Amino acid sequence: MTARRIALVAWHVFKEHVRDRVLYAIAGFALLLVAASILLGQLTAGEDVKIIKDLGLAVIEGAGLLMTIFLGVGLVSREIDRRSIISLLAKPLPRWQFIVGKYLGLVLTIVVNVAAMTAALLVMLKYLDWRALPVERAAWDAVAADPRLLLAALMIAIELALLTAVALFFSAFSSSALLSLAFTIGIYVTGVFSLDLRRFGDIVEAPSLVSHVVAAIGWIVPAFSAFDIKAQVVHGLPVPASYLLLTSCYGVVYAAAVVVAAIVVFSRREFT
Amino acid sequence: MFPVRVFGLTKDFPQGFWRPRPHRAVDGLSFDIPEGGVFGLLGPNGAGKSTTLKLLLDLLRPTTGHAEILGRPAGDVEARQRLGFLPENPTFYDHLTAEELLEYFAGLFGYRGEDRRARASAALDRVGLGADRRRPLRQYSKGMVQRVGLAQAIVNDPALVILDEPMSGLDPIGRRDVREMILALRDEGRTVLFSSHILSDAEQLCSRVGILAKGRLVAEGTIGELTRHTGGTDVTASNVPSAFVDRVAARVRKTSRIADGRYRFELPAGERPEPFIADLAAAGAVLVSVAPVGASLEEAFMHALGTDRDGRADSPGPEGAGLPDDPRAGLQGERQDPDGASRSDRP
Amino acid sequence: MRRVPLWIGISVVAAGIGSAAALLHAREAVPLPAADARFLFVQPGPAARRVFLSFDTIAADVYWIRTIQHYGGDRHSLRTTGRFELLQPLLDLTTTLDPHFNLAYRFGAIFLAMDPPNGPGRPDQAIALLEKGLSVTPTRWQYAHDIAYVNYWYTGNALEAARWFEKAADMPGAPEWLRPLAATTRAAGGDRTGARLLLHEMATSDQAYIRQTAARSLAQLDALDAIDRLTAIVEQYHTRTGTYPRAWSDVVNAGLLAAPPVEPTSGAPFLYDAATHAVTLSPDSKLLPLPHLGRR
Repeated sequence: MTARRIALVAWHVFKEHVRDRVLYAIAGFALLLVAASILLGQLTAGEDVKIIKDLGLAVIEGAGLLMTIFLGVGLVSREIDRRSIISLLAKPLPRWQFIVGKYLGLVLTIVVNVAAMTAALLVMLKYLDWRALPVERAAWDAVAADPRLLLAALMIAIELALLTAVALFFSAFSSSALLSLAFTIGIYVTGVFSLDLRRFGDIVEAPSLVSHVVAAIGWIVPAFSAFDIKAQVVHGLPVPASYLLLTSCYGVVYAAAVVVAAIVVFSRREFT
Repeated sequence: MFPVRVFGLTKDFPQGFWRPRPHRAVDGLSFDIPEGGVFGLLGPNGAGKSTTLKLLLDLLRPTTGHAEILGRPAGDVEARQRLGFLPENPTFYDHLTAEELLEYFAGLFGYRGEDRRARASAALDRVGLGADRRRPLRQYSKGMVQRVGLAQAIVNDPALVILDEPMSGLDPIGRRDVREMILALRDEGRTVLFSSHILSDAEQLCSRVGILAKGRLVAEGTIGELTRHTGGTDVTASNVPSAFVDRVAARVRKTSRIADGRYRFELPAGERPEPFIADLAAAGAVLVSVAPVGASLEEAFMHALGTDRDGRADSPGPEGAGLPDDPRAGLQGERQDPDGASRSDRP
Repeated sequence: MRRVPLWIGISVVAAGIGSAAALLHAREAVPLPAADARFLFVQPGPAARRVFLSFDTIAADVYWIRTIQHYGGDRHSLRTTGRFELLQPLLDLTTTLDPHFNLAYRFGAIFLAMDPPNGPGRPDQAIALLEKGLSVTPTRWQYAHDIAYVNYWYTGNALEAARWFEKAADMPGAPEWLRPLAATTRAAGGDRTGARLLLHEMATSDQAYIRQTAARSLAQLDALDAIDRLTAIVEQYHTRTGTYPRAWSDVVNAGLLAAPPVEPTSGAPFLYDAATHAVTLSPDSKLLPLPHLGRR
């Protein structure tokens, strides 16, 4: 029954987003950009496959970020704003199941979108591969429709799942969507620079206390840049399996912790 | 067994950083609602009705005290399985149709497959939305949304139905339909608890009422119990000597001067009119009319709130009474002593 | 509904984030082939300025920050290949986007010229970068001075250094001391006295990083002097006893040294090799590698 109720909430979130125009705007824009990268690729002599992969993966990540942030911050706060939460929570639905369902629902939305965009990118690359001369193929770092692009997409999906948890937390925490948006973007930016924070002491001469505090922040904030293997995949460089495994575990454990935090906050909230 | 039991429920709301003293929305509430029948939670706007219902549903957490729903603590998932709730001015999901919403909620109650569809469909039929079930909720009128709200409150065949202001904002037909629905739910043996500031609705529907003012329960009982001390007789007479008016001041509830020497006396329910009329005749006045006044909940309501004390009895319109500034607590079943000086309109 | 106490919730969250950080730490140990090319979405060149529309100076700032991070990150990384490989392209891109980025030319040149493991050891790139700066702003004596310094310190070309000191001295606003410095450099070649003169002037620079570099170089000079002195003491021991010492303790016991010698700024010991009788600075020292400058 627990799993069923969570699945119902998640499916409902997915359905809501599938009917949301924002999603289509972002996805349409992303597909357009991926398609435009073919044009761009023709402008740059030789490196067209690399550029299409670079741009394609960047667009998948960028569009995913937009979806995650904009849909994520409204995940709970929108229900509170329009007060639909009041009739929902009167149902035999424990609050933690509500949060977990909301989380999984948005993750499902994001995963479906990332998968669709990745599929579009692969189809396009397959087409280029089919059109290319053998001599051109020999110059590529990696085959055009490289299955390893799926690994890069998987890492992007895990990164977005982590960001979804962060957005969900702020959505459950704050009653203002704008504030949740600002906090989520703030955490994302800090997380992107987390590696630099961890190495702060190496880069900048600063008193050791300051370096330690900054490094500690670097370890604690979600390390969004840790999921970036786009360049390695595009250049056909090896990425060790243990690296991928540890990174995935990191993302899953961290996201779980943030979802728990969202539950802790949400189960203490009151609704007037 | 009492489907709803409330023990010393108190709820404080912080008023913001600059006002450290919290606002007490519900103050030491204790009552039980017996099984079956309709219980009306009445009170002016801001009396704490919605807060009380939200405390029962665990949407709010009490500052002190506790509540039980169907024998379990408020918020218990098992209890909610047999509970239906219609929030005040409900809103649902714009992107869903009524059918989808009902099926979603029915799923949360654990119904599956054909059963889930059938229950959703039956609930929509029952509130008269059978034809519009495939339209998205964003196209629904206020009255239709209210019906959807009723449908989702009964989709699980609840033992207890809680309705928060179920008739607010509805047109007369909608109000009648909701009234009929409540009576039908009662006839099916369910317990209905609803809040309202509209007394005529309560009068027609409720077996018991509780009256809230400023977060306190100022009266509670059957309609009969509460109206026992209201009603009485209106006696109008002319050529009344002013000495007589002064003399009977203690016996009448209210004296209104209509014109020179022409007065209307409101005799309380306990005062028989015959001796008063005899005294009137003895004083040389001319009897114009004698009219019995029926027991009314409105009377009892105003009485319980204590608003008729110093002429600040903002007469409650059809949509209800304004919030009295100083409702007197603890007046349950107790007759207020007539205070002739301030209560009469003598010249 | 019975709620879990708050402290349990907070503990679970803290433990979760803690174990996530531990996973991240474990992952950092897994080497990933450097593909830092993501820093360079744009190849250096005239087209680069157009890509950023009117935000090219902002982009230059971003790339400059990336440069510092790349440099700082690689300096502390254990990688053996590809260290600092992006330094030159990043600096080139930064200075292309903002041709008046004074800081990028001057610090960048010092980064590029540093010997491994502290830098790529590319004085040629350093000089090319500064010459690029001079081509934009031909009157900046600091660039000429820095070219002279790189020639003097990293390539050991004293004559070229003297030529650039003279060029710098001819530029408007150049300080008085540049001309005697040029003369000394030309006369003394690459000796330590000339170097000290140069470094003492640099130690009063308006740029903190230049001051730090000068201080470090002065410490290196002191270390070189100390090695010479210690070699002389070893020879003195040999003259006196007829044998070479087996370790510093022999020299100390002979009363020629108070204690085994230590380099004062880094605290690293001077090492004595009994087989070759050579005195060196401990490989732990941050001053390594020492420059190759002859004694006066």
